[in-house]
Amino acid sequence: MDLENQKRVKDIAEQFGPENVVVVLGAAEGEAAGLAAETVTAGDPTYAGPLAGVSLGLLVYHICEPEMKEEVDADIYDEQVSMMEMVLDVDEIISEMTAIREQYTKY
Amino acid sequence: MNNSVLKGAGYVLVHVPGMVTHHGTTQTTERIVNPDSDYLKQLPEHMRSYEDCVAYPPNQTYIGNLSIEDLGEVPEPWYDKKIEGADRFGPFGEIMPEDEFVLLMQICDAFDLVHLDKSFVQQVRPKLEAHPLITETMLSLIKEGHDEADILDQESHKAALPIYIDGRMVGYVKQAHDLDVNLSAHVIFENLASKASSVVTVLHLLNNSGIDPAAVEYVIDCSEEACGDMNQRGGGNFAKATAEIAGLSGATGSDTRGFCAAPAHAVVEASALVTSGAFKNVVVVGGGSTAKLGMNGKDHIKKGLPLLEDCLGCFAALISENDGASPEINLDILGRHTVGTGSSPQAVIESLVTRPLASAGLTITDVDKYSPEMQNPDITKPAGAGDVPEANYKMIAALGVKLGQIERSDLPQFVKDHGLKGFAPTQGHIPSGVPYLGFARESLMEGRTKNAMIIGKGSLFLGRMTNQFDGISFFLQANTKKDAADVAAAPAVIRDVPVIGVSVPDSELGEEAVRAAVEQANRSGYRATLIEGAHCLEQMDEWIQSGKIDAAVAAHYAFPIGVSTVGRIQTPALGKELFIATTTGTSATDRAEALVRNAIAGIVAAKSCGIENPSVGIANIEGGRQCERMLNALSENGYPIRFAGSARSDGGLLMRGNDLLQATADVMVMDSLTGNLMMKVLSAFTTGGGVETIGYGYGPGIGEGYSKKILIVSRASGTPVIANAIAYASQIVEGNLSGIARSEYEKAHKAGLSGLIEAARQKDRASDGERPAVAAPPKEVCTEEIHGVEVMDLEEAVEVLWAAGVYAESGMGCTGPVVMINEARSEQAHAVLREKGYIS
Repeated sequence: MDLENQKRVKDIAEQFGPENVVVVLGAAEGEAAGLAAETVTAGDPTYAGPLAGVSLGLLVYHICEPEMKEEVDADIYDEQVSMMEMVLDVDEIISEMTAIREQYTKY
Repeated sequence: MNNSVLKGAGYVLVHVPGMVTHHGTTQTTERIVNPDSDYLKQLPEHMRSYEDCVAYPPNQTYIGNLSIEDLGEVPEPWYDKKIEGADRFGPFGEIMPEDEFVLLMQICDAFDLVHLDKSFVQQVRPKLEAHPLITETMLSLIKEGHDEADILDQESHKAALPIYIDGRMVGYVKQAHDLDVNLSAHVIFENLASKASSVVTVLHLLNNSGIDPAAVEYVIDCSEEACGDMNQRGGGNFAKATAEIAGLSGATGSDTRGFCAAPAHAVVEASALVTSGAFKNVVVVGGGSTAKLGMNGKDHIKKGLPLLEDCLGCFAALISENDGASPEINLDILGRHTVGTGSSPQAVIESLVTRPLASAGLTITDVDKYSPEMQNPDITKPAGAGDVPEANYKMIAALGVKLGQIERSDLPQFVKDHGLKGFAPTQGHIPSGVPYLGFARESLMEGRTKNAMIIGKGSLFLGRMTNQFDGISFFLQANTKKDAADVAAAPAVIRDVPVIGVSVPDSELGEEAVRAAVEQANRSGYRATLIEGAHCLEQMDEWIQSGKIDAAVAAHYAFPIGVSTVGRIQTPALGKELFIATTTGTSATDRAEALVRNAIAGIVAAKSCGIENPSVGIANIEGGRQCERMLNALSENGYPIRFAGSARSDGGLLMRGNDLLQATADVMVMDSLTGNLMMKVLSAFTTGGGVETIGYGYGPGIGEGYSKKILIVSRASGTPVIANAIAYASQIVEGNLSGIARSEYEKAHKAGLSGLIEAARQKDRASDGERPAVAAPPKEVCTEEIHGVEVMDLEEAVEVLWAAGVYAESGMGCTGPVVMINEARSEQAHAVLREKGYIS
């Protein structure tokens, strides 16, 4: 996750309280989604950004996960995401995301 | 709509490991943030050799040696595979080594900012001399260089940026201003690298497309650099700077920017300029970016790979008027990501692919091949970005599924059938759609595919002016005129028989004689068309320009100075063929120079009529001896000329009247007034002088950089002469007169033509008792303009300054003519010019 985004996540978590924040990812494949999820939960694994050594433990989902899909108006989801849903390896993304949540999410 | 065509493409990679280490932003940033990092220490052992870079399969594809299909057969990953017998040069371009490129940067530097070690220059110069496309004019721009002690004395040039090759510092790039960050050494370095790589790519494009450089009218640069000073950051103009060095003397141009989408924008703009009729030949060029070298280096090294981003990537394309053969750019099918489109992938693909296709009644399966971002997956996969082209194909297919154009189960097959393997270096704008143009052109011309869609996309938010994303796409299709029955309606170039326009409005022999000549030529298998009416000469010029006719036969034409015509005649009694160089026009105002240029024009004409190695004789006239000496010098310096000896018993190179009658030489050189006289005598003597009935007329206008094919006849030329002139015109078109002319002048210049001419001029000036030639003092960098000198006095003012020891050049500033001098000389120069009354 780039340094600017890490900073924004950190600021938002401080401002609203980590228990009130959900991070929604749009990464194009499982590994990238997992790395981003790890960054906002356990901390920046590359130790390069503001979240290095900072374990926010935020709740994090990928937009293609069923929990998120249910939250979104079906028409808008169809318009904005359904095409990519077809392209992405959703199963792999779900398994990566689930593993990270189980391990690091505190809320 | 008369679609423009993709007339050619050029692709160049420059292998620059030294620049990766010292100028790629990933590395320069690391050096600031973490100077002792493991990454920087590991870099050298992960650098590829030049040979490995050349043998790397995707690089061979980029320059056209390995087809995209064959690349797909090479199992991934590719970094550990080599193509056996890989060649530096390919049908699209080349992979240039770093040392040659650094010297090319010095050639492209007009402000003495690239300082190179003398020994380095000496060592590399022969390599550039051996390069097949680097011109003599470019070689003449090489500066001798500086002593090693000066190069290594970093105290004296702290703000400069060093240039390293194989760990050795071979020079540096100086800042162009002490305070202006836009002229800092860093910016100048990036910009010169972009310019130099554009230049070599344009040279390949010219070579690949066979176009006369002088015929290029406009250049659009679409690279990602910005040149300008602190008052106009990004003021430009890379395009013109590139055109100048590449020898595009008839071109101007401008820069188009749009991040990675810029090349696709530029091709659409070029196509629109050609389709509208504004210009006939437009070059689009994108140079390489030093900043992006080794961008993903950390990931590559972490995974134990070589540093794969070790090349500058460059491309160029020529967009021209429809030639009835090359693939067309169909502007009816244009995709645009608009401000209102939104940024979801779905909205993007819809705006760039499915919507423009739907507007033409097409679906996604109607397009044979798509070329979106063509990044090499070998580079992007280890960096976590996946296979970029493949992801794009999946998106197009998925949208097709949503629109009911294909079944979901067909998705993988669609990707396979309509997709291409990525092979382009990750240089930002370079992979964006355009890497396929070269292959697309071949495939569409050979009929293997019928169309292609090129998609460029760009991330504008990086510039912090908008959060908008951007993209534009265009549609290439096989030429639709190729099979059209009415061949004559299709504009020029590739056609069975050249079309010749005939415009002799005021023949002394009447309209009928001209009409009869056209009919006679057409019966003999040539294709001539009569151009009549009060404005027939304007009409003729217009048709030549537009390519409606390939050449013209005319009774009048105002050739510029530098162009004169080569007549062709059969000798009396013996009927031997003879070229008289020249017969009308003025090759040069200096007599000796004109004679030498006439000789070259004569050789060009004879060669384009199929005489492989014509013999040359010089008429025994004033200036003949001097011309002989100059031609001898050229011949000895590597421009071989086959001299004819006089048939008279005392021999010699100079030709007498007898030789003329015997056609002892194929090409007889004389001044154009004498030549004109001879043509008239030899073509009209059988009719008592009233009508010219013998020979081919006064011939085509030939001169350096001149490409129009216009042949002159006289108002007294009879039917047989005009009919022969049509045949002569047809022959020089088919015999590629423009190409032969270009190569002959090039060879003559390599053999020192310019120097010989200058020497002759000086001598003439001295003997004429004109004001003595003043030698220029040592050249200095001229950045200051002196305004207010009368344009007619400009050259004189420059010489007055030279005489006073101030180096100066004449130029054209924004507001009028200017004398350019070095800033430090300002006061002295102004004083001199004021004293002599040039300025007030």
